[in-house]
Amino acid sequence: MTKLVMRRRAADNRYLHKDFHGALSCGIGYLQEHFGEDAVRQYLRRFALTYYAPLREQLRARGLDALEAHLRELYEIEGANAVFERHEDELVVRVAACPAVRHMRERGFPVAPLFHETTATVNRALCEGTPFEAELVVYDRTTGRSVQRFRRRSA
Amino acid sequence: MIPCTDFIPAYSELFKTLERLGGVAAVEDFWHHLARTYLTDLRELVRTHGIRGCWLYWSHTLNEEAADFTMELDEAAGTFEIRMHRCPSKGRLLEFDHIEPYHDYCRHCDVLYRDILEPLGFEYTYDLSHCDEARCRLLVRRRAAEQSREAEPALPSTDSGRESH
Repeated sequence: MTKLVMRRRAADNRYLHKDFHGALSCGIGYLQEHFGEDAVRQYLRRFALTYYAPLREQLRARGLDALEAHLRELYEIEGANAVFERHEDELVVRVAACPAVRHMRERGFPVAPLFHETTATVNRALCEGTPFEAELVVYDRTTGRSVQRFRRRSA
Repeated sequence: MIPCTDFIPAYSELFKTLERLGGVAAVEDFWHHLARTYLTDLRELVRTHGIRGCWLYWSHTLNEEAADFTMELDEAAGTFEIRMHRCPSKGRLLEFDHIEPYHDYCRHCDVLYRDILEPLGFEYTYDLSHCDEARCRLLVRRRAAEQSREAEPALPSTDSGRESH
């Protein structure tokens, strides 16, 4: 009979557990089923307003540079193909396939019907209280392909 | 999107939202739901490999989560143990000074894995007494009835692939 021991330190591995996307999707599905669609959006908004408060502060202070840096890092970590178009007061991000959706499809995890709100609602919340606004222009529910636009609010 | 590296604070916020909307019962019901619908890998691995399934499951997840841990499997004794020296999830939550973690965050590990392992014939003990330092201990022990069943001579057709060290 086998006796095995494994000792690992945090620095031994890279922190990247993509199955977490499946758990988040499960949570969003549960929230929608038991408390309705608005509860999902309120949850994601509240999360983004609090957890991303330092980023929102950067967005106010540095403008779209801060948001672009955040999104570039995010999609790089997740290994996504994302193209950034940048103008003075506008940032457009074209994501060929959402890496979270892709992972869930590959692993057989259900993708919650409102999973796209992790982009739409979170992006809107990131811009709350800043001079910018967010729009999810295109979203494909099968692949998570998206076009996201951030631009300065009209006066 | 929310990257998987930001999942833990999102998870913590989800627990807070559920408690606000439906009380602690809603949080616990969600944990049971998660065990039923999401943790199918652990269930299948333990069904297929017995207590070794725990080793296979957590070898994968704890390494991807970059945890600081010691993990031991003793198939003869029928035990599997994780000593978490620094939980990457709770540790991460404790590092943030701009968010307040869900007050009972660590208990989800007690509920989720108990739901999976106890019906499969295992005792599950989870020591949360140091979770405020991101440390915990998880012990899975095959129940005595299961031990004696596994100790019986197996049929040749099913014993051929069993390791013996």
